[in-house]
Amino acid sequence: MTAVLTSEQVEVSADPEAWHARSIEERWGDGAPLIPPTDDRVLAMLAASPEPADHVIGVLPPQHGVATIELLAINAVLAGCEPAAFPVVLAAIEAILEPGWNAFGLTTTTSSVFPMLIVNGPCRDDLGIDYRAGCMGGAGGRGSMTIGRAVALCLRNIGGQRAGETSRSVFGQPARFGMCFGEWEERSPWASLAQRAGFGADLDVVTVHGGKGTYPLADIHNDDPRDLLYLIAKSVAFPLSNLYLSGNPENGQVVIAINPVWADRFAVPFPEAEQVQEFLWEHAWQPIDLWPAHNQQMLRDRDRVANDGKVRLVGRPDQLVPVVCGGLGSLHAVALPSFGESQLQQAVVRRPSA
Amino acid sequence: MSATSDLITIRRPTAVPPPANQAPAFTLDASLAGKTIGLRTDMAWRSWQLIAEEWARFLERDGATTLPVETMSQVGKGGHEDRTRIDTWSEKVDGGFVGLGTCGSCTSFTIHDSVTLEQHEKPAVAVVCSEFESHARNMARFLGHGDLKVLVMPYPLEARPDDELRQIALEYYPQALALLGVQS
Repeated sequence: MTAVLTSEQVEVSADPEAWHARSIEERWGDGAPLIPPTDDRVLAMLAASPEPADHVIGVLPPQHGVATIELLAINAVLAGCEPAAFPVVLAAIEAILEPGWNAFGLTTTTSSVFPMLIVNGPCRDDLGIDYRAGCMGGAGGRGSMTIGRAVALCLRNIGGQRAGETSRSVFGQPARFGMCFGEWEERSPWASLAQRAGFGADLDVVTVHGGKGTYPLADIHNDDPRDLLYLIAKSVAFPLSNLYLSGNPENGQVVIAINPVWADRFAVPFPEAEQVQEFLWEHAWQPIDLWPAHNQQMLRDRDRVANDGKVRLVGRPDQLVPVVCGGLGSLHAVALPSFGESQLQQAVVRRPSA
Repeated sequence: MSATSDLITIRRPTAVPPPANQAPAFTLDASLAGKTIGLRTDMAWRSWQLIAEEWARFLERDGATTLPVETMSQVGKGGHEDRTRIDTWSEKVDGGFVGLGTCGSCTSFTIHDSVTLEQHEKPAVAVVCSEFESHARNMARFLGHGDLKVLVMPYPLEARPDDELRQIALEYYPQALALLGVQS
């Protein structure tokens, strides 16, 4: 059955440059060209949804815009999504709307934080979700470039998130255009991110991380995998991390993207991902005397300093989250630091019944 | 290449904000004598902690009992406990000051917790710094409490000497009382 669209109709020029200018004037986009959401395109998107057009998936902050499937589909068209990718967008929005992700705070914060989408499952190849070389930018897979962008446009157009107005982000970050990459499960020596959360390997699963940016790590000097992992732990525990601002070390995760070559090295002493996490946690701390005296007192007041003077970045090993992806050139890892007051959320990608 | 004048029809991608549905804002409409006035602080902002301490002293001097509450988290177990504590605190006080809005998310949660107090039919005054005033008023409107009382303080408050903060506390105290609806 064909859906009946109810969103307001608007006449615009068919000329691409005039349309682009109009979209900027109306503040519908991110500055880059958009695909006009004509009825045939929106209907094609809706045909890929497991829910009908008028189904309300939730209310998106900050302005509490009502997110119907139809409005989400319109924004997915704008972003250039192919219909087959629309269920991934829906799953990402579902995850963002989980209270633990804290969309209320994250859409309005001064921080650069934004939803970073990590996809597991068979859909990665079909949809062009990059997980090999250049997966965090530059590889150019359609899924990576448009799914994250669709989520960003939904936050902008439905949630009303606008920099300098409802969003108080001081700098923003490139990922605010949209960020979506996959895990290279086939090259990971460990259970995948989705499997570790209890999902089957045959499922497509989106993990949404409130990430503050991409923090690059590099090494050519350490042959012992323990030495290298130790330095990764020390590097992610940088003193101005958001996780040291909070009095609550139990919230937030740092995602650590590890290239497949390093992952193989780490897997020799640590055959399970949980062992990697435990080792990272043991070393993700800084000595209290690293901080100036006044700051030391604040950390003590917040009960962040252990008796041995260690100030741990996070309260538990599972807050340090390895994900295997990236090219085979090795030498690099990327940390995706946490906002702190946000928890990873996951949702299964659901498609219409056959 | 010439531009075409053809028109196409598209669908508007923006959501219509929910109906205003603005709730009434409460005021104390009484003197401070015998009243319990709440002061909600956030562990993040030392400037506001100091100002709130000063105001507590003034309020007690002027006949009120004060009840402080401090928040720390937005999500997880800590966030749940904080929101529960705000709810309980809202039941116990006759009105209160909620701060500090001096970042994006902390302003959002300042408004959130102010609205909780108003939902208990108690007057709330959200305390925010001038840089975040428009954000505070937007969030209050988005939460259906567009008439929420907002006290606007100088920005930034952080990194000011304690003496200066005490002076600001003194200077803004009458305005704070007026917004709460305290009658002399």
